[in-house]
Amino acid sequence: MNRVVITGIGVVSPVGSTIEEFWPALVEGRSAIGPFSIARSERVSTRIAAQVSQFDPATLFEPKQLGLLDRFSQFAVVAARASVRDSGLDISERLALETATVIGSASGGQTTVDDSYFKLYSENSPRLHPLTIPRLMTSAAASHISMDLGLRGPAFCVATACAAGTHAIGLAFHMIRSGQAPVAVAGGAEACLTAGTIKAWESLRVLSQDTCRPFSRTRSGLVLGEGAAVLLLEERAQALARGARVYAEILGFGMSADAHDITASDPNGPARAMRAALNDARRNAAEVDYVNAHGTGTMQNDRSETAALHDVFGSHAKRMAVSSSKAVLGHGLGAAGALEMAVTALAVHRQTIPPTANFEEVDPDCDLDVVPNVARQADVNVAMSNSFAFGGLNAVLLVSRA
Amino acid sequence: MQAITDQVREIISRELKIPFERLTPDTALLDLGVESLDLIEIVFALEEKFDISIPFNANALAAASEEESSRVGLASLRTIAQISTAVQELIDAKTSA
Repeated sequence: MNRVVITGIGVVSPVGSTIEEFWPALVEGRSAIGPFSIARSERVSTRIAAQVSQFDPATLFEPKQLGLLDRFSQFAVVAARASVRDSGLDISERLALETATVIGSASGGQTTVDDSYFKLYSENSPRLHPLTIPRLMTSAAASHISMDLGLRGPAFCVATACAAGTHAIGLAFHMIRSGQAPVAVAGGAEACLTAGTIKAWESLRVLSQDTCRPFSRTRSGLVLGEGAAVLLLEERAQALARGARVYAEILGFGMSADAHDITASDPNGPARAMRAALNDARRNAAEVDYVNAHGTGTMQNDRSETAALHDVFGSHAKRMAVSSSKAVLGHGLGAAGALEMAVTALAVHRQTIPPTANFEEVDPDCDLDVVPNVARQADVNVAMSNSFAFGGLNAVLLVSRA
Repeated sequence: MQAITDQVREIISRELKIPFERLTPDTALLDLGVESLDLIEIVFALEEKFDISIPFNANALAAASEEESSRVGLASLRTIAQISTAVQELIDAKTSA
């Protein structure tokens, strides 16, 4: 079995689209949650989100290409370009034939959906733009990355809601490990800040109206985010041979289904996914130094995730560090797992545990070391990243220091 | 007010598949074993029926204490009588606006 390492990270995030902007914001707990601007915002009551600002597609794409791209595909392509550039890997024509592209997204081209259906139903337009379907399809990001970078190996999208980015990276990891592909471009992308999507989330009654406070007793719900993260995964021997900078090695990937409820979480499913990741990596729970939690900031998630961590880690649960990046990045749905895998890889690379920002008060039901508000220098040899989607679809990745 | 209470009972009876007669003004929703989605659907059905907006955050359902539940807006939604009062107030606020 091949060993697999992360040699490139590309992000488009609410705290910036370079690693130099992204990582310090997470370490300092600088939240990107705030006012946002979308079309038809008067139709929603929510006034906060973690929106990607300072993203000017006109400077990043030729007009002809831009016409084909929904906002989520724009994020995905920009992040993919950045990850390949960051890796320093020269993807030759021969290598490109085998390079995989695996991209997660919960809901694909929502901006296209919202604009098109508004035009159709509200403006009574008799016609829609001919590229509506190619823009909105959830697989569009994977297609456009493969076209933009000329990657001709296995390519597909993964649509497991809030776990999509993690499933995508995990599947790409297994493909390299088994020899199906030598290199993969894998991650997640989401641009879900539209009036229609936000209204639908409001109807679920889980959105906070002030900010996201994971694991804090004073939490008030989740805050939507957006963005993309794409990692360049490479077979380890090849990466070392070319002298690549290695952020982290991927050790294991675990999946499970709750088979319980379409929205409520059940600690049993997440616990089995964590165990599956540890088994896949042949590691013991006690070796884990840091868990980047799913940590949405809803009471249901935070308490259920805490219970699952206690179940899997036993007495070690209180000795390891657990933090959520969603207080800074919001919940980027299908992008979240990929953005958080980027955070986790950087945590082992920089030997720094990013905090749970916006933390106010201990919740007795979340009795973990949640690294409140202040980052920590620490030996981080093994780290875990959790994603638990609505519908009970769970995905967990385990990484180690290179 | 009696009319509102009966309509609230009717909606809850339909959503939870509980006989109308079993629901009294003192019945507390949490005692009926409602789950998160049930509660959200009840709130939605009330909003549709009376054309009002009920401030309610699902974090409230799992809220452990009174203080916590009041912070997320559940305190006024515990019993059928309280729900009916809240609905009446929201209707009044709409009419006077």
